[in-house]
Amino acid sequence: MKIKSHLTLMFVLLGVAFGFAQTQLGGTVTDANGEPIPGATIIVQGTNNGTTSDFDGNYTISVEQNQNLVISYLGYISAIIQFTGQDNLSVSLSEDLTELDEIVVTGYGTQKKSHLTGAISKITNEKLDQIAVSRVDEALVGQVSGVNISATEGEAGSAPTIRIRGTGSITGKSDPAIVVDGLLVDNDYLGSLDMNDVASFEILKDAASGAIYGSRGANGVILITTKEGEEGKTKFSYNTYLGFKEARQSDAYSFSLADEAAEELAANGSLSNQTQRKLDIGVDRSWQDVIFDGGEIRSHSFAVRGGNKKTKYSTALNFIHDQGVLLTDDYKKYNIKLKIDTKLNDEFSVGINLSPSYANRRRFDGSAHDILRQTVWLPLYLDDNSIQHVNRVRDGGKYANAQIGDYAIQRMFDDWDMANNVAVTSGQDISNTSNTNPAAKVLERDRNDYKFKIYGSMYMKYKIAKGINLKSTIAGDFQNTKQDRWQGVQSNRNGASAANYSTNIQNRMHFVTDNFLNFDKEINGHEISAILGFSAEKWDTEYESLAAAGYQSDLLQTISAGDPTTIQGQSYDYAQRLISYVSRVNYAYKDKYLASFSFRRDGYSAFGPNTKYGDFPAASVGWNVAKEDFLAGNNVISNLKLRFSYGVSGNPFFDTGNVLVDNFPFLSLLGSQTAIVDGGSAAAFNPINIANTDLQWESSVEINPGIDFGFFSNRITGSIEYYERTSEKLLIDNPVSSTTGFSSALVNLGKVKNSGLEFEIRTKNVTSENFSWNSTLLLSANDNELVSFGASDGQIQNIDAKRAAEWVNSVGNPISSFYGWVVDRDIPLEFIKNPYHPIGAEAQDVYVKDLNGDGLIDDDDKTILGDPYADLVWSFSNDFRLGRFDLSLMIQSSEGAMVRNMGDQYIFNHFNSSQDYNKATTPDQQFIKQKIFTNDIVQDASYIALRNINIGYKVSDEFLKDMNITSARVYASGQNLFYKTAANYTGFNPESINDTSPTTYGYQRAGSPIFSTISLGLNVEF
Amino acid sequence: MLNFNQKTIKKHIMKHIQILTLVLLGAFVSSCEEDYLEPKLTSAINGSNYYSTPEQVESAVINMYDGLQGVNSSSGNDNHATQVEFYLTEMRSDNTRTKSSEGEAAQFESYNVEATNGIVEDYYRSFYNVIFRANTVLANLSNAGGSANQFEGEAKFVRAYANFNLVRLYGAIPLVTEPISPLNSEIAYTRVPVADVYALIVSDLETAVSQLNNDYRTRASRSAAEALLAKVQLTLGNYTAARTLLESVVTTGGFSLESDFSDVFYNEANSETIFAIGYAPGGLDSQNFSAEWLNAVGRTSGVNYVTADVRSAFEDFGGNRTAVSFRQDASQPEQYQVAKYFPNGELDAPYLADPTKAGNDWIVIRLADVLLLHVESIMAGANETIDPAALASFQAVRNRAGLMDSVTIVTKDVLLNERRVELAFENHRLFDLMRLGVAQDVLSNFSSTNGLGFSSTDVLLPIPQREIGLSLGTLSQNPGY
Repeated sequence: MKIKSHLTLMFVLLGVAFGFAQTQLGGTVTDANGEPIPGATIIVQGTNNGTTSDFDGNYTISVEQNQNLVISYLGYISAIIQFTGQDNLSVSLSEDLTELDEIVVTGYGTQKKSHLTGAISKITNEKLDQIAVSRVDEALVGQVSGVNISATEGEAGSAPTIRIRGTGSITGKSDPAIVVDGLLVDNDYLGSLDMNDVASFEILKDAASGAIYGSRGANGVILITTKEGEEGKTKFSYNTYLGFKEARQSDAYSFSLADEAAEELAANGSLSNQTQRKLDIGVDRSWQDVIFDGGEIRSHSFAVRGGNKKTKYSTALNFIHDQGVLLTDDYKKYNIKLKIDTKLNDEFSVGINLSPSYANRRRFDGSAHDILRQTVWLPLYLDDNSIQHVNRVRDGGKYANAQIGDYAIQRMFDDWDMANNVAVTSGQDISNTSNTNPAAKVLERDRNDYKFKIYGSMYMKYKIAKGINLKSTIAGDFQNTKQDRWQGVQSNRNGASAANYSTNIQNRMHFVTDNFLNFDKEINGHEISAILGFSAEKWDTEYESLAAAGYQSDLLQTISAGDPTTIQGQSYDYAQRLISYVSRVNYAYKDKYLASFSFRRDGYSAFGPNTKYGDFPAASVGWNVAKEDFLAGNNVISNLKLRFSYGVSGNPFFDTGNVLVDNFPFLSLLGSQTAIVDGGSAAAFNPINIANTDLQWESSVEINPGIDFGFFSNRITGSIEYYERTSEKLLIDNPVSSTTGFSSALVNLGKVKNSGLEFEIRTKNVTSENFSWNSTLLLSANDNELVSFGASDGQIQNIDAKRAAEWVNSVGNPISSFYGWVVDRDIPLEFIKNPYHPIGAEAQDVYVKDLNGDGLIDDDDKTILGDPYADLVWSFSNDFRLGRFDLSLMIQSSEGAMVRNMGDQYIFNHFNSSQDYNKATTPDQQFIKQKIFTNDIVQDASYIALRNINIGYKVSDEFLKDMNITSARVYASGQNLFYKTAANYTGFNPESINDTSPTTYGYQRAGSPIFSTISLGLNVEF
Repeated sequence: MLNFNQKTIKKHIMKHIQILTLVLLGAFVSSCEEDYLEPKLTSAINGSNYYSTPEQVESAVINMYDGLQGVNSSSGNDNHATQVEFYLTEMRSDNTRTKSSEGEAAQFESYNVEATNGIVEDYYRSFYNVIFRANTVLANLSNAGGSANQFEGEAKFVRAYANFNLVRLYGAIPLVTEPISPLNSEIAYTRVPVADVYALIVSDLETAVSQLNNDYRTRASRSAAEALLAKVQLTLGNYTAARTLLESVVTTGGFSLESDFSDVFYNEANSETIFAIGYAPGGLDSQNFSAEWLNAVGRTSGVNYVTADVRSAFEDFGGNRTAVSFRQDASQPEQYQVAKYFPNGELDAPYLADPTKAGNDWIVIRLADVLLLHVESIMAGANETIDPAALASFQAVRNRAGLMDSVTIVTKDVLLNERRVELAFENHRLFDLMRLGVAQDVLSNFSSTNGLGFSSTDVLLPIPQREIGLSLGTLSQNPGY
């Protein structure tokens, strides 16, 4: 039924109004210097009759007597001239210095910046491609207020986490939607895009702007516009840089044998046998030095762009290679882009966009927390000195054949006769684990991700009549992701029996079609533009995997080389579908009074038969006060716009960990299992989820009042806004009692409110021919509150049965807060069984406070210890230009977030029984609890960093003239050269958060480090 | 003005064709709207119309045994079921301990179990999942055709087995008799008194006894139900009822003691096993407890290691069972490992391709156990017995162990010791001590001799903290935790 009404509408609009025959008038449009202005708009006022000036500024137009012609061009003051019979109407336009009316890309269209009524931030790619990072999203840190990008994983090629205006969604998927050149793409598209191809980013932060993307707009939308060719001479450009990366180590995790030996000597007057033995082996080095090996990053990008009046093209070849700062991690990405836009005739324009990309990523296949807890006296490889300390007789002669160059294993040095300094079968032990060498765990493994993606889109734009056009786009992308993982015979203490190989492939086809009718009309100062259309999208994914074990050596790492009885395989496939109906009307009167309304209806296949659709309306209004007459000649206020927006957007995506449940949650699904019946295999089917037929869209309602201001001819510009976003019917995989037979069930539950303030101010401090200085300050403060959570209010849960630290979700506090006991004081070393062994170890337990004074420590003494959400995020940037030199730098900081640093448990060897307190002598044992359940590991994740600094020099034209080069710039750039974390934070990356559910957020297990990069680069155009 | 020359006509047609194409394209895509938003489910079964034929109900029955197997994985969030049972039973008794007192496992041997212990939660969660699978079968019996009685018997057997283990380990537990919704907090968080739990167990097993046949060893059988019910009755003190059931197993079951003790464990088709949980090596049906009981072969450095206490019991009473039950650890000669479940299937042969994926079946009930229970049922709570029937059963077990001396009297202590050495490391010891009422004495002696922390509240495990947290305070915790 819906289709019929839309069709009717379209046919109605097909009624084209033809004008009557009139006088043909010609002329030329020039600027104040007499230079022609191509592309200026000449409109007969009050009609649909218009044209544009050609390459030489000439135009012809039909006009009647006494009609007015309006001649305008971006950046110039429009001219209005009456036709009274002239045979030539040439005009000279003067530049409009107070108002450079930028065009901003919005959902499914563009709008003048002055007409915007929503919260949209734009960043153009001026120097973003000089930030030496392998991913586009990593370069956006600190560039936009309200957009928080954290480097949750420091491995080469891994994706950061992007949150716009806080964590509104309680599901795993709080990621914003990504739109590239008008089409919605999957979030991992950011991994295949190269910054050199990006012209600008527009971030839609409020619901009113995002509502047009209804289904995906609830967490904000990032619109990316790629570079296109320009009319004129073909431009070749080449950009390259070479950078050096180094990881930032944690001082708290750097232990020293020499220091501990000195402490022990001071406390006890002599060294224990254990410590002496460790000193004898002669190695004293932190494992951070081994696994944080630094790396290089290099990028090459070659592009050809150009065009003529009818056709514009842009082609590019990009390559980036990031060696990563961790041992063995590596990332290479190859990218080709082809974009052609052509005007076939006055009515028709067509465009094609094709971008294949391939990325090859070698992962760091170890866990930092497991490696760093290994001891500092253990060598990496046995050398001349350490080989003498290997015990060849213990454990049945297990290490009898150890040679120089072998991996050193802790147990090799046990069972030593300290008196005679020889190996024996039973003697002094110094090991604290039977594990293999920590670096062997990484070096003997090979884990790779290969991603091939080809994205193509084609659009046709048809001008039905003046001001009405139809744009139809078809796009598709095919993605093939292959992962393989080999764990070699030396990578595990169990040797060859633990060697295994696994591989999986996922193919995904994605199609989207957008069909929109655009309508633009201007009558007597009333500008109306509208869009109406629909979009359909589908994804088909298939997945296969194979795994094998039982390898005797590392020689052949394939499935068939393993033991056939151990081969396991799996396959599945699933599909998703989305259909949407979109409409929007924008209204502006004399550029002063602005209004915008939109409505979108989306249907998604993963919801039950009665809840597939969601409706997302939005409305916003604005008033350009500066254009009013009473502010017309004002010298101070050059721009003042008040705006208010209201919008409803939604989110259909969630992540239960099982893709079949994610896509068919309204069905009770059964998966296959087997049991052994009297020696033979028998087939079974097992329920894998609790069905929810009422599962429906999450929805977010947001109000956003804001003020945009500009003073002193826009020397100072900025905006202040306040937003309040209430997300409800949150999609959450909520934990349930085990008595149901399951651990969790997918429900719509709860209401979360994110409210905050964003403040932006940009100043042009000095602008002169030889020196300029601009500054930008961005501030955002977000407050997250759980407004309701149904019967689960106050629920306490943990992530891991083995490390059962708790989170609480209680109304009136943020979605998730850390929960546990409060530390009172440490257990004195005299009560610890063996305080100097292993090196760097700490007691697992601590004295906690008896908060209710009842003399016992129980659940009533637990309290909220903090939350993982930042209170304030700000960035301050400065750009200087002195002659040919330019310098820009950005300082960025986040304050108020806390993190539960589980890494401490491992790296400080909390599990080691030598560090247990002596039950016979320790006083007040009823007040002792394990540190994991207290705020000892809940640490301050605030930081302040010099995020980017870039110094460049523009080579002079005379120097370049002979080489036929149009422009060249050399630069040096640095990222994270200065990075300071809070005093009580012991880890090396406060931004690294494990991807657990949002109700147990803020968990960190060492992770990968923050790194600093210094690079040198060159941009050449010819 | 309209000109009718060819060029203009073509232009007009072109114009319209282009519009029509675009419009039709859109119409085509959304005309499939009806089922466009309903893509096919191909990689899982839609449960709403499943369980409609006897074969489908049988797949749910097989699924229960898969639940008892547990998942062989290292993830703390998977249901490991039987594969972690030894932590909660043998390691909390005087039979075994960890090799090096590390990690969570050390809490069991030193009687310092915390409510947050992951293995405690794992077992609780696994067996409630087993109960759910059994309840699913019971809810769909109407479509089971002729096999309905048999499936009902099997499901009630499995449910009773799960409830019996849970009630002995955790005390009063929530009682679930049908699949429940997550919103049903009344059933999920009400701890039903122990007597009522036993009432359900007895009733379930009585149904099983009357409806099952003896076709299987790794699926429920009549004899298995009789033996299990007998054990339950002994726990409740109903000695006569237990005796009748046990005699039925012995006379009508068709079982016999294997002459070679090691065949019981290494010959899966042996004549003594009454009920076992089946495993197969290498794949998804494998188990990892065999590897964990060796020195650093599994994920731990070695658990379920043999205590000096049980070794001295073997010296006194073991006979030829000693060599099959435990052996010295070659890598650490002062330590001793369990020898009944080596992953390769043989005592001394080299290991399988991957010993963490072993295929040794787990024996739950065997004839020797039934014979000793028979003695217990005749003793009927007294301190000794000279009844000839009891002596005969006891002698049969002794003879097989190579201890041919004639038995003239069996005391409670002698029976306990015999059970200990016959059924060592088969997860019986703790329950035997509890059933015969000597758990407190034996364990506190053991604890003080070895410097451990046993107190009277340590016989029961804590209810997992996760359940208490989710219940928002309605679920009560066991004393001492």
